[in-house]
Amino acid sequence: VRGRVAIVDYGLGNLRSVAGAVERLGHEPVVTSDPGELERADRLILPGVGAFGDGMRNLRERGLVEPLTRLVTDERRPILGLCLGSQLIARESAEFGSHEGLGWIDASVQRIATPDPTLRVPHVGWNEVRQVRESVLFDGLADGSLFYFVHSYHIDADDAELVKGETEYGVRMAAVVERGNVYGTQFHPEKSQLAGLTLLGNFLERT
Amino acid sequence: VSRPRLIPVLLLKQGLIVRSQWFRIHQVIGNPMSTVERFSNWNVDELILLDISSADFHDLRRDDLQQRYAGSTTLDVLREVARVCFMPLTFGGRVRTLDDVRDRLSAGADKVTVNTQAVEEPEFVTEAARRFGSQCVVVAIDAKRREDGGREVYTHGGTVPTGLDPAAWAARAEELGAGEIFLNSIDRDGTAQGYDLELVRSVTTATTIPVIACGGVGRYDHLPAGILEGGASAVAAANIFHFFELSYPHAKRVCIDAGLPMRQVGLGSRFFPREPRYPEGEGRERVETRLRAAAAGPPDDTEPTPPVRWCARCVYPSTSAVPLEFDETGVCTGCRVAEAKVEIPHAEWERRRGLLVETLERYHSKDASTYDCVIPVSGGKDSYFIAHVIKNELGFNPLLVTYNGNNWTPAGWRNVHRMKEAFGVDHVLYSPSVELLKKLNRLGLIVMGDMNWHAHVGITTTPVRVAAQFRVPLVIWGEHGYLDQGGQFSLEDFPEMSYRDRLEHFARGYEWNYFVGLEDISEHDMIAYKYPSDDELFDLDVRGLYLGNYVYWEANEHGPMVVERYGFELADEEFDRTYRRMSNLDDMHENGVHDYLKFVKFGYGRCTDHASKDIRAGLLTRKQAVELVRRYDHVKPGDLARWLDYVGMAEEQFDRIADTFRDPRVWRRVRGEWVKDELWEERVADVPAKSRAGV
Repeated sequence: VRGRVAIVDYGLGNLRSVAGAVERLGHEPVVTSDPGELERADRLILPGVGAFGDGMRNLRERGLVEPLTRLVTDERRPILGLCLGSQLIARESAEFGSHEGLGWIDASVQRIATPDPTLRVPHVGWNEVRQVRESVLFDGLADGSLFYFVHSYHIDADDAELVKGETEYGVRMAAVVERGNVYGTQFHPEKSQLAGLTLLGNFLERT
Repeated sequence: VSRPRLIPVLLLKQGLIVRSQWFRIHQVIGNPMSTVERFSNWNVDELILLDISSADFHDLRRDDLQQRYAGSTTLDVLREVARVCFMPLTFGGRVRTLDDVRDRLSAGADKVTVNTQAVEEPEFVTEAARRFGSQCVVVAIDAKRREDGGREVYTHGGTVPTGLDPAAWAARAEELGAGEIFLNSIDRDGTAQGYDLELVRSVTTATTIPVIACGGVGRYDHLPAGILEGGASAVAAANIFHFFELSYPHAKRVCIDAGLPMRQVGLGSRFFPREPRYPEGEGRERVETRLRAAAAGPPDDTEPTPPVRWCARCVYPSTSAVPLEFDETGVCTGCRVAEAKVEIPHAEWERRRGLLVETLERYHSKDASTYDCVIPVSGGKDSYFIAHVIKNELGFNPLLVTYNGNNWTPAGWRNVHRMKEAFGVDHVLYSPSVELLKKLNRLGLIVMGDMNWHAHVGITTTPVRVAAQFRVPLVIWGEHGYLDQGGQFSLEDFPEMSYRDRLEHFARGYEWNYFVGLEDISEHDMIAYKYPSDDELFDLDVRGLYLGNYVYWEANEHGPMVVERYGFELADEEFDRTYRRMSNLDDMHENGVHDYLKFVKFGYGRCTDHASKDIRAGLLTRKQAVELVRRYDHVKPGDLARWLDYVGMAEEQFDRIADTFRDPRVWRRVRGEWVKDELWEERVADVPAKSRAGV
């Protein structure tokens, strides 16, 4: 079943690449900030590149927080946050001061605290994702598959059960989180070729 | 934790991929979209796209090609590329303001390179990093060797010296907030001599951010040294990825074998089929639109055309279908490469022949389980010459393979059958169904204005299929057409046949699957046109060498030789459209209907090709060539009658369809007549001296 996929446009993020990936998977992407369009979609993707504070401000300014929250928490519409989008679904972030997030999962966002001084932040590049718990997102993917990361902050879940995939960069951190209909990947599946599209396809077809 | 990366660099000029030499000479390679699609398929770690256009305008040239996209600016190209780029994308070129950075990032780039602007206004790097994050700010450094052995940073596309030392500037760029350094050597660009490792080392020791080394890679084994000896985090190259089949996977394999923990080689992902996917119903719609346009006929008057100019030495026009560029003296890249070829000394040809023998020794069948190589033959003089070199001069055992397009001249048919006797070798003649050929002839005309699509694709597909089936890795082709005619590559490149060449050049972007469903053609009917899969090609390490890169090639000399020695027959009668009698005997329409269509589309024909070659060979003066072109290029050929009868079409319908393909850069309608600029009355005065029209 090919459903409608809304890619939330809140002025941050590589919308075009995400839309291209959705299209490549045979689904119809709608890049939108219109609550009506979001309502009509079967699935939502919250992309994002940039700072947490800017992301939340833009979501608020566009009046998207309330309709998105209603769709996700009341109607249990499947949503996938990518990179910054996966951080915005948390309760709060420590990036440049303290910011309140969407709060759809019990987690905070922390700066990468790698003890290895030779490892630079941001963490940029291809890295392995260990599948520490089962997730439908991993269907057909080998444990340790490589994904493309670009980030300085990461999700820190209150309950370890929410963390389905981890990556290591001097320190282990969450790479895939999941709670019910809410999914998030710290990496960019739309830039991760076969592995990335497989994961994205799982979200579009198996959630 | 941090994996070394292998990064292809695509140089874009006016929307097309170009090959570069010393930052000055740019030869057109092809369309970026299909190349980027294949990179996604091959697990490419990252892609760098550098726009080196002189202005924010580009000209995609041929309307008959399948690959088109909307818009004409740098950002339009980037947006289109981003749709098929499922890997990190770095985009550079003419970034001067923060808005330029923002526009590129929002059009689909993940990182942006900054070069001239960073040198002129270092705070720009800091501002860009603050606003967009240092991970997306790449400072590009172009360095050139100084007389005293040191290096110096150049800006403005390698033209303006700055007095800066590359290592010191790189360290400063890191302080300013750059996330990465993209380091290129101007001296090594396009030379195939390997990285300037001294330069790479000086920069990697002066910085802690990742350094991408670039410039000079001519062999796969040049790549690992950039990391192992130069200390770079990533190795990049541009030209080499255009020269060979499956170049990225092979290059990756070499890096991994050298001990570098790179991501694995990827081939054949289910999300990125190599064969293009066409929108549902596109073929049918294109046929209907074309037939409607043909029925309506052209308007009585059209817009005036921009001036066409011709090479100052040969007779190629600026609107040539062959990709070529003119230099500042008005001479085309084809003539320049031909000059360079004449100057190759005897000793160099000996060395090249040695390279060929080495390759044959490496790939030939040691246990006699199969043939030593495949030679695609049309039975023409070039086929005879290749068989002569491989079998009788070098002593290898080839299998001859022929695609039978059913258009032979009587002499051509006798010539192809004589080869097995003349050379004492085995020969496979592969003949698709004539009913299918008729359909493909008709559809080729209507869809792309070229009824010989089947021949161009059949000739480039059948030998490779047979090679894969017989497990013969080596295929020996004749001359590289675009290198010879347009100087697409340099003589040091040794370009080989690839799927990209086949799809973009020979198939004009139309893969076999385009025709499925048209005229009731099924997928089963199209087996003859299916190319072996990437997996088959990679596992067997199939290579398609061009003999012209290894052996001195002058058709005017080896023509008489093969007549004398092997009984090769010249054409029974003269061709209508060219003065040469020894070319294209295998296909009466190649010099006839097919070539007439080229004239209708682009305003020139085979006689221009032949006369240009003969000027370069010193056999014709330009004045003689102009007269020949004037006499032959426009002629409507006699074989058209056979073709129309063969496919069942009226001549008027043929003419009307052909007219819909007239290139608006060449042809204009004036009071109901087709008019174009003529070689013999060149509008020299109103042509800018610097380059081809519009560039």
